[in-house]
Amino acid sequence: MTAPASTGQVASVNLWYGVGSRHEVPGRTGFAHLFEHLMFQGSGNVAKGEHFEEVERLGGDINASTSTDRTNYYETVPEHALDRVLWLEADRLETLRDGMTQEVLDNQRDVVKNERRQRYDNQPYGTALERILRLGYPEGHPYHHPTIGSMADLDDADLDYVKSFHKAHYGPDNCVLTVVSDLEPEDVLARVEKYFGHLPARDFVPEAPDASLPQPLGGPVRDAVTETVPAAGVFLGYRVAAYGEREFDVMHLASAVLGQGQGSRLYRSLVVDRPIAADDGGGAADILPFRYTDSLLLVNMLAREGVSGDVLEEAMREEIVKLAAGITEEELDRARAVLERDHLQSISSPSGLADSISSCTQLFGDPELAYTWPERWADITAEEVRAAAERLLVDDNLLVVRFDPDTAGADAAPAS
Amino acid sequence: MLRPDIGTPASYTFPKPRRITVGGGTVVAIDVPGQRLASLRLVHPYGGAVEPLDAMGVSSLTSEVLEDGPDGNSSLAPALERHGAEWVSRVNWDGFITGLDAPANRLGEAVRLFADAVRRPALTADDIVRRRDQLLERFWLEAASASTLAMRSLGGQLFTGRYATPLAGGPVKLAEVAPETVAAFHADSIASVAGTLVVVGDLSGVDLEDLGKTVFGDAAATPVREVAAPAPPPGELPRVLIVDRPGSVQSALVIAHRAPSRSQVDLPRAEGISEVLGGLFTSRLNMELRERLGYTYGAGSRFDLRRDSGVFFATTQVEADTTAHSITASLEQIAKLRSSGVTAEELASVRDSNTVGLPVSYSTARAMASALVDMVVHDLPDDYVDRHRAGYEALTEEKLNSAAQEYLHPEEAVVVVVGDAERLSGPLADIGAGPVEVRSPESLWS
Repeated sequence: MTAPASTGQVASVNLWYGVGSRHEVPGRTGFAHLFEHLMFQGSGNVAKGEHFEEVERLGGDINASTSTDRTNYYETVPEHALDRVLWLEADRLETLRDGMTQEVLDNQRDVVKNERRQRYDNQPYGTALERILRLGYPEGHPYHHPTIGSMADLDDADLDYVKSFHKAHYGPDNCVLTVVSDLEPEDVLARVEKYFGHLPARDFVPEAPDASLPQPLGGPVRDAVTETVPAAGVFLGYRVAAYGEREFDVMHLASAVLGQGQGSRLYRSLVVDRPIAADDGGGAADILPFRYTDSLLLVNMLAREGVSGDVLEEAMREEIVKLAAGITEEELDRARAVLERDHLQSISSPSGLADSISSCTQLFGDPELAYTWPERWADITAEEVRAAAERLLVDDNLLVVRFDPDTAGADAAPAS
Repeated sequence: MLRPDIGTPASYTFPKPRRITVGGGTVVAIDVPGQRLASLRLVHPYGGAVEPLDAMGVSSLTSEVLEDGPDGNSSLAPALERHGAEWVSRVNWDGFITGLDAPANRLGEAVRLFADAVRRPALTADDIVRRRDQLLERFWLEAASASTLAMRSLGGQLFTGRYATPLAGGPVKLAEVAPETVAAFHADSIASVAGTLVVVGDLSGVDLEDLGKTVFGDAAATPVREVAAPAPPPGELPRVLIVDRPGSVQSALVIAHRAPSRSQVDLPRAEGISEVLGGLFTSRLNMELRERLGYTYGAGSRFDLRRDSGVFFATTQVEADTTAHSITASLEQIAKLRSSGVTAEELASVRDSNTVGLPVSYSTARAMASALVDMVVHDLPDDYVDRHRAGYEALTEEKLNSAAQEYLHPEEAVVVVVGDAERLSGPLADIGAGPVEVRSPESLWS
């Protein structure tokens, strides 16, 4: 895919591979993400660290990320270096297995374990997502575990499996490549053809694990944790439709009415009026977008000093249930404006635009959606939001993860 | 297939901003055709550094309470949200910055709301007290993260005076800031001072003169600010401070020392040497601690340069048992850089990344606006970005090596470690980084 950039002399390159943690099997969790790290560790014609070094030396931006549904790799460089970046990407797609060694694997396994410590284990509420997914999707389901994986599974990763993973998932037939620049599309396509054109499709396409959900959630289901946290934290989750379905868009608006922006209901009622929840600037609700199974609408707030988790949880659930009584046109307009603004923000940089185009192409086969996504919200009515809320935001469909401060220690956080 | 050559970079010039004077203020603008999301920033030269010691945190609190809007009770953001605009408000040591990110074609309506919010906020006592209490609680919520706590613990180790207390006033001093203090600060430093307005985006339908009139009204021109470098606190250097966080599976480290002010520093040399040490993924600290030893998810270093002084610091978060070795390994990297100097590769990397990479750095309205704000805060000329680039182009190995001598001083460092004191005290006493003190987070700010 190609698209024009709004400033000159840059080229943003973005690759979406259709592989994520949903492809992992039990005992191999965290592998798609560990693999993402290994993609920077050298390939047939590139030494360890050289990929980063080349792009940084150009003053470029470079990184990658892994989610349940995909792994993306991206670089923004001065336009004159586009060929070099395409070559680097093509080389690791074609020859990564030649550069992989046990030493590199051992080092990056340690790095990833420290990433897990930094983001999950040493952060207050850091294990929330892991706990939410465990409740939201049954044992053995491909969305039951977080992308970071478990320490034990990371320990078990071996070199043969690394190589087989590359072979199974990394082929040009499983990749969308987007270039945002002010070069002519024909010029960009000719360059891509030059570096990627000879690469064969995978000879075998592995089947993704079954992500269907035969059973409803059977809520409310709970996970209550008492540990060293500075305040009680309430995380509520509801299963909603897969990313791309109309019901997802409807519930996306519902989440904005509830908890996005300072005009949202939860902010008005629990941060400003009562006030029992910590000020998060208006970011209490959002949806985890899953393309191949039910998504999760999440609502999260932290309690003010002297407010118990029970009081906050009850207040949040009351506010959520009220959505079924209806929303005003004004609330709906505000929700649309907030989501549109965020969308505009996300495509306002060349790398953001490239990522959005890759996403819309990989997931929906429709790159134009990167520009037109806000139109999906235009004809959704207040009644549609109300009806969906009445059906979905119910206890049967609710999961709760609760963190309460451990007050047993001498110098623990203030009691709640 | 053979690795293709990197072509010749096109020459880059930072867009020359348009400057117009409107009443007591100045509008500085860059037109970016096709950039539908415009960034607007209003700069006042009143950051944390000029706060009196009996009103520490007043600018941060005022910045927060502006969000309550002219009608009070958190009414501003929802009003802006209806125009698809996002309120921006932040305070740093040298500036008080408000602004909007908004669709360029809806800028007019949003800016009228913005001007009212900045010039004529309600500032009710109820709103101020509510925001203050929230800020105070947020201090500890955020400081529950080890890396945040480490950074906030640093000021008191390097400075006396204002910088010894965190920017937002910390958990104690902020509590003493009264609603009347906020009102007086706002009246004297924000409402009646025009400031400088930065605008970047597709400005084809935007009347800058009109925008200036709306935002500045009849406010007076911005006065010039006096600066004086604050003294260091007493205490042997180097030394180690452990901020106790029982049960931590990782330790957050900051190795820091004082540096000259922004205007005193030869920026390309100083930033250049810091980048060799820890500014890039491929820098020495990250390659050693992450890519060789596997102790961390990432390590880096940089300067925080203010109008009157500066700080150099290296940061990382490491597995608890590797804390002592991570500190000695980091100090060794600094010592080695000072004794053996940079390589030709490193020079090239730093020089290239800060010259040919400029089109990448300035590929969004936000990034350009941020560069203009920086120029306003530090009194830099309009062609600053190009001059800065010329400074990097002129770098040599000798210049970077002399910068290592001039700007990196591990012998004067304070090492702040947020982690499990019981587990760390013993090992850290033996690393030769000076005496070790253990404090609880609550005891750091009084």
